[in-house]
Amino acid sequence: MEIWGSVLGGYPRTREERHALRDLERGAIATHELEIRTLMASSVIIGSQEAVGLRYVVDGMVDWHDMFRPFASAWRNVTVGGLLRYFDNNFFYRIPVFTDRPDPEYFVWPGRLRTFSAIADPQPLKVVVPGPLTFTLMSKNASGMSKEDLAASIASALALELRAAQDSGAIAVQIDEPMLSDSDISADDARLAAELISSMVSGLKVPSILAIYYNVPRDDVYERLLDTKVTYISLDVADAPSRALDLIAKKGFGGHRPVLGLIDARRIEDDDYERVKEWLLQATRGYDGDVGVTTTTWFDTIPYRYSLRKTVILGSYVERLASEVSRL
Amino acid sequence: MSYQVPSKFPTTVIGSYPKIAGASEIIKMRDKGLISEAEFHEKIRRPIAEVVKDYIEAGIDIISDGEQSREDMVVYFAHRVKGYSEGDWVRIYDNMYFRKPIIVDELRREASLAIDDWLYASSISGGRPVKFIITGPYTMMEWSFNVHYKSREELIMALAKIIREEILDAVKAGAKYVQVDEPALSTRPWKEEAELAGEALRYVFAGLEGVKKIVHICYGKLEKILQYILDYPVDQFALEFKNSNFRLLPYLKEYGYDKELGYGVVDVHSLQVESVKEVRNAIDMLMKLDILPPEKVYINPDCGLKPLPREIAKAKLINMVKAAEEARRAW
Repeated sequence: MEIWGSVLGGYPRTREERHALRDLERGAIATHELEIRTLMASSVIIGSQEAVGLRYVVDGMVDWHDMFRPFASAWRNVTVGGLLRYFDNNFFYRIPVFTDRPDPEYFVWPGRLRTFSAIADPQPLKVVVPGPLTFTLMSKNASGMSKEDLAASIASALALELRAAQDSGAIAVQIDEPMLSDSDISADDARLAAELISSMVSGLKVPSILAIYYNVPRDDVYERLLDTKVTYISLDVADAPSRALDLIAKKGFGGHRPVLGLIDARRIEDDDYERVKEWLLQATRGYDGDVGVTTTTWFDTIPYRYSLRKTVILGSYVERLASEVSRL
Repeated sequence: MSYQVPSKFPTTVIGSYPKIAGASEIIKMRDKGLISEAEFHEKIRRPIAEVVKDYIEAGIDIISDGEQSREDMVVYFAHRVKGYSEGDWVRIYDNMYFRKPIIVDELRREASLAIDDWLYASSISGGRPVKFIITGPYTMMEWSFNVHYKSREELIMALAKIIREEILDAVKAGAKYVQVDEPALSTRPWKEEAELAGEALRYVFAGLEGVKKIVHICYGKLEKILQYILDYPVDQFALEFKNSNFRLLPYLKEYGYDKELGYGVVDVHSLQVESVKEVRNAIDMLMKLDILPPEKVYINPDCGLKPLPREIAKAKLINMVKAAEEARRAW
């Protein structure tokens, strides 16, 4: 079995980045000064991942206020409204408000890839976008379109984004659908997500990852997702290990390669290596392909210094697992 | 001085009130070490007195100290419990951050945490009961980081021990209404989480007699958690209804809810002041479902009033009280 590591998504801001953003809002610094701070913070984040040998590297997305914001800013017919709790976190996102079909004014990722690829070189970067179902259900639909039509139009805009990212050198694309772990999601919603995500990644040459986290999807929802035409399915294991491992034992990965969220990105204590190893062995029983080990979610709800420590833990555990598990 | 709490539809608050001018500065002085804890509680009396005045003028039956001392429901206690470190910066939204406390050692309560403010509010309440309000063990656990305790079970029970000690002292001091706030519970509405919180709350409230035991939960998926909390050893749940458009009401019926209910009829996330008629309709809606008698229904806002401007918070309470008075005549 080949085992590789990758951080799921964004990193927290450094103190300098926080202060620079605040100073920009007050008009005390110019945009290019903020960009320099962001570049410095991202460089450290990229370097920390490369230093521990992670396969897919992220730029940390430290300038994003939440997962939807850069896309809401880049698209016509979308604004942002009030704050709402983001899943079970003590963190709040701004609700995107769709007044019509999203129309990309510019792409979010190509510019980032151009900037950060030089820093990450020789390792290319993974890009992350919100999934169309999560985007739709966590937004306010003032467009007059049905939920299905709005979701399809979001998927269409995101598909253009992914193609542009691939053309700009992305090594992998990840589509985040945390809403699929919500207990109220219907099997029909899951089928819709599977169809839309399949269409988003069709024609892409780079590997694609469907990431589901914050909870474990229901059996009937997960069954529908197994039809999604992505390379990898990523599940959050460490948050609710017994339910996650039970789901994997019952349903498997449906021919997809697994990515397992084994490093807890929402707690700051060091993860227990033996427990991580046990979860990996249980989740991959009878499987002999490549397996990704990742963080349960993004790092942006823990302090910066712990995100760096967790990156080191992820890298060192992957190295140990690759050495020990491949001998079993 | 005694005050007669109405037998039907008593009005109350969840706890926090908009910060009165000067309160935030007093908190900062204490946090910077410019004043002692005793001086802090002395200085914060002026804002508490303003809150109590507003509550009395609005006609609230069971009041609070307005949590004027508390910059945040977790941080306040973390600053005063041994074993917590100050914490590190974590984002709440956009570029807004707070220092999320970290548990770095065995937790110990070395002095009372919130009793001084409660005593002061009680001394000026004109006989009205003052709720003793404390953040619950599950919420303290979930909204803190932990690098000391090996398991969540061990941690939550350590927090439960401290909270129980504080409540026992508050009861000794005369508290008759004790409210434990557990907003984090509705964000993880799963059976195993409710059981974990339930075990801690059983310990917190064990053997407590002659006191109204209340748990407050708000927002999130309350309807998912309701079925798992009904066996908690409490007299009353104070729950949010208005903000979620009373979505929870049918579930009370479905699960045969029979404890007292703190009925959230005022949205603390809306600047629009609910009219008397609107609140009255909300009360009628509950009563028509024939779930509880009026003696078991307390009328309160969804949650703490802290997010609102003071004049709006007070206006909402005034209308809430008027609606409760009407409802008493009707039911």
